Amino acid sequence: MQLNPSEISDLIKKKIENFDLSTQVHTEGTVVSVTDGIVRVHGLSQAMQGEMLEFPGNTFGMALNLERDSVGAVVLGSYQHISEGDTVKCTGKILEVPVGEALLGRVVDALGNPIDGKGAIDTTETSPVEKIAPGVIARQSVDEPVQLGLKSIDAMIPVGRGQRELIIGDRQTGKTAIAIDAIINQKGTGIKCIYVAIGQKRSSVANVVRKLEEHGALAHTIIVVASASESAALQFIAPYTGCTMGEYFRDKGEDALIIYDDLTKQAWAYRQVSLLLRRPPGREAYPGDVFYLHSRLLERASRINAAEVEKLTGGRVKGKTGSLTALPIIETQGGDVSAFVPTNVISITDGQIFLESNLFNSGIRPAVNAGLSVSRVGGAAQTKIIKKLGGGTRLDLAQYRELAAFAQFASDLDESTRKQIERGQRVTELMKQNQYSPMSVAQMAISLFAANEGFLDTVEVNKVLDFEAALQSYMKSEHTELMTNINTTGDFSSDISKGMRSAIETFVKTHSW
Amino acid sequence: MSELATLARPYAVAVFKRAKETDSAKTWSKNLAFLAAVLSDKSISGVIDDPKIGKSALLTLLLDICEGQIDQEGSNFLKLLIENNRLGLITAITEIFETYKAEDEGSIDVDVSTAFAFTKESKQSFNTTLEKTFGKKINMKIAVDSSLIGGVLVRAGDQVIDGSVRGQLQQLAQRL
Repeated sequence: MQLNPSEISDLIKKKIENFDLSTQVHTEGTVVSVTDGIVRVHGLSQAMQGEMLEFPGNTFGMALNLERDSVGAVVLGSYQHISEGDTVKCTGKILEVPVGEALLGRVVDALGNPIDGKGAIDTTETSPVEKIAPGVIARQSVDEPVQLGLKSIDAMIPVGRGQRELIIGDRQTGKTAIAIDAIINQKGTGIKCIYVAIGQKRSSVANVVRKLEEHGALAHTIIVVASASESAALQFIAPYTGCTMGEYFRDKGEDALIIYDDLTKQAWAYRQVSLLLRRPPGREAYPGDVFYLHSRLLERASRINAAEVEKLTGGRVKGKTGSLTALPIIETQGGDVSAFVPTNVISITDGQIFLESNLFNSGIRPAVNAGLSVSRVGGAAQTKIIKKLGGGTRLDLAQYRELAAFAQFASDLDESTRKQIERGQRVTELMKQNQYSPMSVAQMAISLFAANEGFLDTVEVNKVLDFEAALQSYMKSEHTELMTNINTTGDFSSDISKGMRSAIETFVKTHSW
Repeated sequence: MSELATLARPYAVAVFKRAKETDSAKTWSKNLAFLAAVLSDKSISGVIDDPKIGKSALLTLLLDICEGQIDQEGSNFLKLLIENNRLGLITAITEIFETYKAEDEGSIDVDVSTAFAFTKESKQSFNTTLEKTFGKKINMKIAVDSSLIGGVLVRAGDQVIDGSVRGQLQQLAQRL
């Protein structure tokens, strides 16, 4: 963009005209020591916990330790130019970040500054990074679904709007892939997405951005990045920043989905900051308030009722509930879910999607362990048709797991056991799904219906996915009306059941796969 | 700096309480000021840090120097500091003691930097304004600092009231 010089001088002139000559009253302190991004400041007796402090060179910090004669603060950004004896000013403000619609489609850092090279972000509002979660009175129970677009998850571990569902698994088990598919599937649903990347490589983040762009999902997404090269303080703040941006949508009666990728790294960053602040270490050297670190963040993901939305918007939005759904990600080491941070987050969230590397390696992708994964509140929110059809899937898989050990003695088994094993194998196969290809409710319903009604039993196990693909394309071209009907109502009536049955029957008779 | 204050506070509190009991805040103030002045002298501080000089020798030396300048309780305090190896704290103790004293008297120490020297009348009126803002008696220390360009900069403890042209220019620079 070519800069117009007169425009700029005009702008500056306006700013000078509007500049109010106020006398500044503030409290000051002196830097005593600077160590690894931690600054001890003498004085500042009026500082608040979490207050922004102004250092020379337009650098800001956050007061984290308030002691009798000194304040321990973390510098947000580079700290090389700060030295002993520098003056530090209180700003009287808790850390705030810009919020608003203008952030959608943008990539920002933990303080809300754009880092995607698309110029300044035109936001007018800012909001504090740390806020108290809505109270009991303001809330409403979760009863609307968020479709992640993945058969195995939407059928067995449904997620509702306002729910917190943990995605947990070892490295390289497809945690981020689920999150990205979930974002892509929100295209056109009105759910705004926020993807918070904490402690990741910039190249991975660039990949995510590119993939979202390719699938047209960037327009409804805000990406908050605190990459591995940024200071621990920024990595520790980034989730709260993203949450604040998501709360903006929740509080005006819209729905938002936030993904924290991943909270393990945030806990590491917080551990680093805490140890440098000389707070006493506890289990696994984490500070004592690591539970509170995550609980206060995830508690902000919630569904709020229409009255609260009306109150928060000053009466502008009426009769609409708002929600912020959270999908935190936790990386385990060698499948150990009993480590400190995983157990904490499992206990905070409303269920977990458990991914296993041996499932992933045996080709079951998404590598969801259906036995260990649960959703504690999502059942109430599940689309009716998926709830009806998905129940059978869950049962089939559970029975299959019990008998799977006998699978190799197939010839010696009685008829019913053999049938169960075969059904299980086919359902397991059916639960596989490619990345970046989320499915609509109707598509899922057809696949699940085919499995439930035994249409798959005659299909060879390694042909199941081909069968499904052929069936889906047939349904798309020949039964558009039925599919739209399912997608719009989401109900499972006898009409729909009959329609699906006859469609699949014709397909089986007339098509090959 | 902050660690020194933490160590010095109990001493200062003790001295202040004793001074209130015996109603001798002024004498104590003098005692402490003299001790601080003596100990901040370069030749003395060298002696204090010298490991070859024992505690008793040091005490005799310091008592000789302070002879007639500090009272009995003052020299007791000096003994205590030597005993506890806390002679280095004397400046911090004095500072904290003075803030307590000022607080007790309902006055406040204010450093005022001004671009141009005050006239008598303006100083008087400025003093009353400050008294109103802080609600306390003001012990004003005035320094002329031409780098402020215009206006005044008031400092009372941690609090800073910046009414200088320099501060306003900085604000403007930041806004742009």
